[in-house]
Amino acid sequence: MVERGQRCKRVRIMPALAADMVVPLFAVGSSARVDADIAPKFKAGDTVTARNINPTGHTRLPRYLRGKSGTIEKDHGVFGLPDSMAHGGGETPQHVYCVRFSAREVWGASAAPRDSFYVDMWDDYLDPA
Amino acid sequence: MADHDHTEPPSDTALRVKALESLLLEKGLVEADTLDAIIQLYEHNVGPQNGAKVVARAWSDPDYKARLLADATPAIAELGYGGVQGEDMVVVENTSDVHNLLVCTLCSCYPWPVLGLPPVWYKAAPYRARAVSEPRAVLKEFGVEIREGVEVRVWDSTAELRYMVLPERPAGTEGLGEDELAALVTRDSMIGVALVEST
Repeated sequence: MVERGQRCKRVRIMPALAADMVVPLFAVGSSARVDADIAPKFKAGDTVTARNINPTGHTRLPRYLRGKSGTIEKDHGVFGLPDSMAHGGGETPQHVYCVRFSAREVWGASAAPRDSFYVDMWDDYLDPA
Repeated sequence: MADHDHTEPPSDTALRVKALESLLLEKGLVEADTLDAIIQLYEHNVGPQNGAKVVARAWSDPDYKARLLADATPAIAELGYGGVQGEDMVVVENTSDVHNLLVCTLCSCYPWPVLGLPPVWYKAAPYRARAVSEPRAVLKEFGVEIREGVEVRVWDSTAELRYMVLPERPAGTEGLGEDELAALVTRDSMIGVALVEST
């Protein structure tokens, strides 16, 4: 419903995808990688803590890992940040890392001692431990 | 009315999809033959048969396996697979010491070019929650007994990387060629909820 005095937002509609474009477009896809020379905040082997953030909007930081500490396994390179992109806020490009969390760090002493979770996280999700 | 000859109405989900589809078509936002082309693509051309060929190649060619584990996207492209939801791939290897399991706890992220579209249970809340809260119990329900001393690694693909499991090659398959090996590899084994059996 549009209230009196409120202006309708103009939504730009993309033209419908043509059937003959399905195979070529789907075969290429669209990587979220960003070609930008941005310094990483962390390197493999660093210990980090996932921030305990609770945004009302979009985030890819799973709740069960907020406040938990892990180790950077690998730097995947620079990607756009969904938290800002989902709300029209731009790419906010930054490094994404594979972070390992032990099952015991997440679930306590009842978890199997050597089991673990591997989750990819953006710089904005992490603090040094 | 039991004595009445009638057809059951479609499920709520099917009705909702039909309503959305007709709205999108009426408004000209999608075209019917485009939808058909997408369905055709994922019903016939893109599915776990692709991933099975990648696995069979990795089992047969140690150099390929090394490339696949080091940088999966170009190695998978060598076999002609890639694209939407597989732009940035990682392959994780099951060994006698490590068992890998894939999940997307936030939604349904899944490596389409090698596995096709995700099964319903993969997208359902119980699997997404329990794959991280009790992965060993989930594996047991799928019939996978994790051996003593084996480490379970759960890959929660909530970011932009997409994962595939390289299952262990079963014993007794030493003489098999790539096509025969590929025929043994199941979708579930590449998600990590099954092992590959030799027969």
